[in-house]
Amino acid sequence: MVTPKTQDLPPPGGYQKIPFMRVPAKTLFNGFQIIGAYIGITTFAVYIYHLTNKQIQREEVEMRSARLALMPMLIAERDREFLKQVRKNRDEEARLMKNIPGWVVGTYYGEPIYKTKPVDHFDDNSLSWDDLCVHSDYRTQMIRQNFHLWN
Amino acid sequence: MFFFDFKMPLVLTPFFRTPFTDFTGGLINAQHYDKCGQFELDMIECMEAYGQDRGKIKCRDLIDDFNECLFATKRTMRGIAMIMERDRQWRNGERKVHHEPGPRIDAF
Repeated sequence: MVTPKTQDLPPPGGYQKIPFMRVPAKTLFNGFQIIGAYIGITTFAVYIYHLTNKQIQREEVEMRSARLALMPMLIAERDREFLKQVRKNRDEEARLMKNIPGWVVGTYYGEPIYKTKPVDHFDDNSLSWDDLCVHSDYRTQMIRQNFHLWN
Repeated sequence: MFFFDFKMPLVLTPFFRTPFTDFTGGLINAQHYDKCGQFELDMIECMEAYGQDRGKIKCRDLIDDFNECLFATKRTMRGIAMIMERDRQWRNGERKVHHEPGPRIDAF
């Protein structure tokens, strides 16, 4: 008696088909549409940038005009305050050293500071905070020097 | 005041003078930051006219003025004398106020 062999056979109806063909992505836009969109959006953005740039230039011109108009007055006021302080220093020195023998106001014991210049030569090119704050305490001078260091 | 009489070389010149060193000879001077530029010019012209050795004797005043502009010797000593006098008066009781109020902050 021959029993039928058990074999690993395909199911009835056969196997399904194996999908091996490519499935490309869905194209929403083609290449020309994408480049056209890029050019369109860039054009619009450049236009907006141009308008903003004009506004910024207008604001800069106004700021520059205001600064040019105000600077001479501010510098003149600073110079005026400087000269007032120098005069106060001279008067204070006259009061301070009036009993010292040999002291002449504006010199060093009678010896003028510059030998080849006239006696009333005011060398405002080489003054410093040391000369301005000579009648004040050290802290006052340091506060002003610090302020100028940061400005 | 002996320590204020330094003889510093104010104008640095090269050791050997050649046409090559003449190109870049005068690099260090007081003309760029020219608070003392005019003093230096007067001194240099006088020294150039008289030479090094005679110039040091004849242009003594100009050299001293240039030194004074650079190092502020007499100005500093003046300031120190005034400060010491003020402190002495305060400690003796001759002053009512020790220091004056200073300049405005934006005065210089």
